Amino acid sequence: MPEPRAFSFRLGEELAAAFAKHRVEYLFIGKAGAIFYGFPDTTQDADVFPLKSPDNGRHIAAALRELGFSVDERLEAELIRGKDFVQVREGPFDVDLIFAPDGIETFEGAKQRSTLVDGRFPVASLDDIIKSKKAANRAKDRESLPRLEAFLQYLREKPDVSST
Amino acid sequence: MSQSRIDPELRKEFDAAMRRTLKQRLDYSFIHTHKPVMDEAPWRSFETTAAYRKWCAENLPSWLGYA
Repeated sequence: MPEPRAFSFRLGEELAAAFAKHRVEYLFIGKAGAIFYGFPDTTQDADVFPLKSPDNGRHIAAALRELGFSVDERLEAELIRGKDFVQVREGPFDVDLIFAPDGIETFEGAKQRSTLVDGRFPVASLDDIIKSKKAANRAKDRESLPRLEAFLQYLREKPDVSST
Repeated sequence: MSQSRIDPELRKEFDAAMRRTLKQRLDYSFIHTHKPVMDEAPWRSFETTAAYRKWCAENLPSWLGYA
C-alpha cells in the first residue's frame, strides 16, 4: 500500500486530469472546496461530490485506478450500485466521495451554482459548502462555520478578488 | 455604504490569503495525520449519509469532531 500523502496542487491536477479523461461528473466540496476559493484554513481530506449514477460510478472507479488507488471489485460494485458516502484510504491521498451531501438537494443544482476554478477544478459554490456544513452540524463544522461565513461576506464585498 | 461586519484582523488574513496563488493555497492547506479508526480500513461505504454520521458517532473518538 503506498504511503498516503497530503493532498496538494499536483495531486489536484492529477485528479482533475484523470476525472476529466474518464468523464467523471463531480465537484470539490467541503473545506477542500473553500480552499480553492482562497479560504485560509487547513484540512486533511479531499472531499468530492460526484453525481450518483451507475455510469459515473464506473468512471470514478477507472479514474481512481489511474490515480493509483486500489479499487477492488467490491468497491467498484459499491460505486456503481450507488452509495451516499464512500471513503477511500488506500491510495496516494485520502478521498471522501460524498454522493449525497447534507443540505444539498441535487447534484445538477449544485453544478449550476458551481465555479470552474482555474478552468479545470469544478468547485461547489461557497453558499452550498456553507449550507452543507450547517446541515451536517458536526463539531468540526460548527467550529469552522463562523470563519467560512465571514469569508463568504468578504468575497461578496470584494467582487474584484480572483478565485484563481 | 454600510460598515463591514468582518473582523479587521480576519479581513487582513483573507487579504493575505487572496494574494496566494492557487498552487500555494492547495500546497499549504492540506495536511495529513492518521485518524484513528477512520483510516484503518482501505475503504468504507455507507448506504446513506445518516448511516455514515451514525457510524462516526458510534466509532470515532469524540475529539476528531465528526459527531
